[in-house]
Amino acid sequence: MKIGIPKSLLYYYYYPLWKTYFEELGFEVVSTPATSKSIIDLGIKHSVPELCVPIKVYIGHFLKLLEENVDYIYVPRFISVLKGQYFCPKFMGLPDMIRHSFEGIEEKMLMPSITAKNDNIAEYNNFRPLEEKLAISPKANKKALEKACKIWESFRNYCYLGYTVVEASDLALGNIKEAKILPAKASVTIGVVGYVYNLYDSYISMDIVKKLREMDVSVKTFEMLNENSLNKKIKTMAKNLFWTFSDKLIGAGYSFYDDENIDGVIHVTAFGCGPDSFIGKLLELDSPVYEKPFMTIRVDEHSGENHLQTRIEAFVDMIKRKKLKAKRGA
Amino acid sequence: MRVSFPYMGTTVVYKKLLELLGHEVIMPPKPSQHTINLGVKYSPEFACFPMKVITGSYLQAAELGAEVIITSGGHGPCRAGFYEQVHRRILKEEGFDIDFIVFNSMFRDSKQFFKNIMKLKGNSSWLKVGQSLFMVYDMIRKLDKLEKRVQKIRAYEIKKGEATRVWDIIQNQFDRANCKGSIQKAFYDGSQQLDQIKTYNVNEKEKMRIGIVGEIYVVMEASINMKMEELLGNLGAEVERSQYLSQWVAYNALPAFINQTHEVEILKKGEPYIPINIGGHAKQTVGHIVDYSQRGFDGVIHLMPFGCLPELVSQSIIPKISQSLNIPVLTLSIDEQSGTANSLTRVEAFIDLIKGKRIKKIS
Ligand code: SF4
Ligand code: SF4
Repeated sequence: MKIGIPKSLLYYYYYPLWKTYFEELGFEVVSTPATSKSIIDLGIKHSVPELCVPIKVYIGHFLKLLEENVDYIYVPRFISVLKGQYFCPKFMGLPDMIRHSFEGIEEKMLMPSITAKNDNIAEYNNFRPLEEKLAISPKANKKALEKACKIWESFRNYCYLGYTVVEASDLALGNIKEAKILPAKASVTIGVVGYVYNLYDSYISMDIVKKLREMDVSVKTFEMLNENSLNKKIKTMAKNLFWTFSDKLIGAGYSFYDDENIDGVIHVTAFGCGPDSFIGKLLELDSPVYEKPFMTIRVDEHSGENHLQTRIEAFVDMIKRKKLKAKRGA
Repeated sequence: MRVSFPYMGTTVVYKKLLELLGHEVIMPPKPSQHTINLGVKYSPEFACFPMKVITGSYLQAAELGAEVIITSGGHGPCRAGFYEQVHRRILKEEGFDIDFIVFNSMFRDSKQFFKNIMKLKGNSSWLKVGQSLFMVYDMIRKLDKLEKRVQKIRAYEIKKGEATRVWDIIQNQFDRANCKGSIQKAFYDGSQQLDQIKTYNVNEKEKMRIGIVGEIYVVMEASINMKMEELLGNLGAEVERSQYLSQWVAYNALPAFINQTHEVEILKKGEPYIPINIGGHAKQTVGHIVDYSQRGFDGVIHLMPFGCLPELVSQSIIPKISQSLNIPVLTLSIDEQSGTANSLTRVEAFIDLIKGKRIKKIS
């Protein structure tokens, strides 16, 4: 049996877990190719215009999977991975948007709800709903989960070491051996604030992380920060903030502002994201307070690559000059 | 304390409560194009429209000297305190150091709720607080009752605009009332004035009824939703809104186990389409559409603020609901451009379509 997983949204965060889990149960996991113009266009064509780019991209991938002859498509409903905090409404309503938009699609969808105490969603209750449809026994289910959990933990440990989620995923799944993909001691460190589904989708972010590394910049992102200390940071900030992943981003943003080893912050945001709009505004207003350079990069369906290159080059140069000056002054 | 609050719907009730507790109230100006422009200028670009209007509104209130702003998780935000942080920061940037008191349902965060009450209570006695709350709730219920009548009469009034004029007078009368007796009198007078409006006699079968659903702020606040209720009334339709203040209060002030309010029922009706609460009013929106169709309404106007996350989910689902329940639904995105001829034409065309459908049914 073939299970399809769209290469979009939290795929970038949970793929090692999902792939291990389904394969352990003896299913074949089918995913979509990297986002392309045709996938985005497919998504745009089948969604309401005001939706944010990432959700449109997801719908594109979903439809693409239908062409692959899969038996089921896994579209989990993310509700909460932290007590009292929730996902962006579009995540919580994602399965509903899809099943009510395409006639007869519902039977093909696996849409268990996900609620967990922390980012590690390998809890039995999140996967038990699959038992009936996929005809698996509780025992096999639990066993597969155990394995998936281990792989995911190792994936996270690679993240903490400074690998991007793409690298960490490859490492955890054993696709590559320990590699020297971390830049050696870089002259500049930049905190990049952005959702995994934007930063690591090469089409959406035009590989900004790679581009920065090529400029001899060491990059930090939210998933490289320890989950517990990030949560603590968020708690000290305000009583009520945004939604889970938006919270992580803003927590990361301020952690970067506080961290003296980080020289500047770049916010990468996709067209149409409300929560990002707030995060960007707060970080922008507070950039002078913390005396750290800040820049927003907004990507949409047609942002140009050259333009991006020029902007990040200018930003990095500015930081390098600033550092040089400080050194001379000292 | 010089307090202010976001402008939404029948504002006299918030004003009244604060006055009863001995505060000086800075009335925020009714949202105008100027308010909206201010809001758009100082808010993040992809913030939802209510957030932007409220930014503008706060800036105006701050200029008038407000020191404290009281707001609630239900006046727009999808979730508790969602944008209060950002508002605070924006105001500070403009040189206004303003304190916020954010009310949420007492059962979600009772500690915070209590703290807020203490702040507002000031020097009033508990008895006074209790009495004031009761009085204002009584007022809300009476105002809602009268408003529901206005929404019907408007469709049949002979002199266009009369119901709206009377409704303004009624709100004024309530504004001046400050004891049980005078509220009763305002209610009585209001009912009488409504009785006196001359209307056409329309056969029960020929009446057209339209429901308005969507996010609470754009549904409740006429000055930003093209005065949708008046517009529909003038086109000859009776109107019912998905939200009334009294329902909102009842729903948020009762603990879950005895909460048998209308809202609970509506949420159940939304379940087949959106099984869980995804924030904002998305689930209510779909629930209300189901409810209106079951009650034989002729159509539904869905008001959705630009950039509203949960309503985007409901918007994606509405075509399916509309089709399977056979009820026409028109979604209108509300932003700084709405109110233009284009949106007007769409509403008129929608009503024409419904009228056409009825004629077909009859013949
Ligand atoms: S957080 Fe932003 S980008 Fe992500 S789904 Fe929600 S609106 Fe879209
Ligand atoms: S429900 Fe919609 S309009 Fe209301 S605060 Fe949330 S996003 Fe904004």
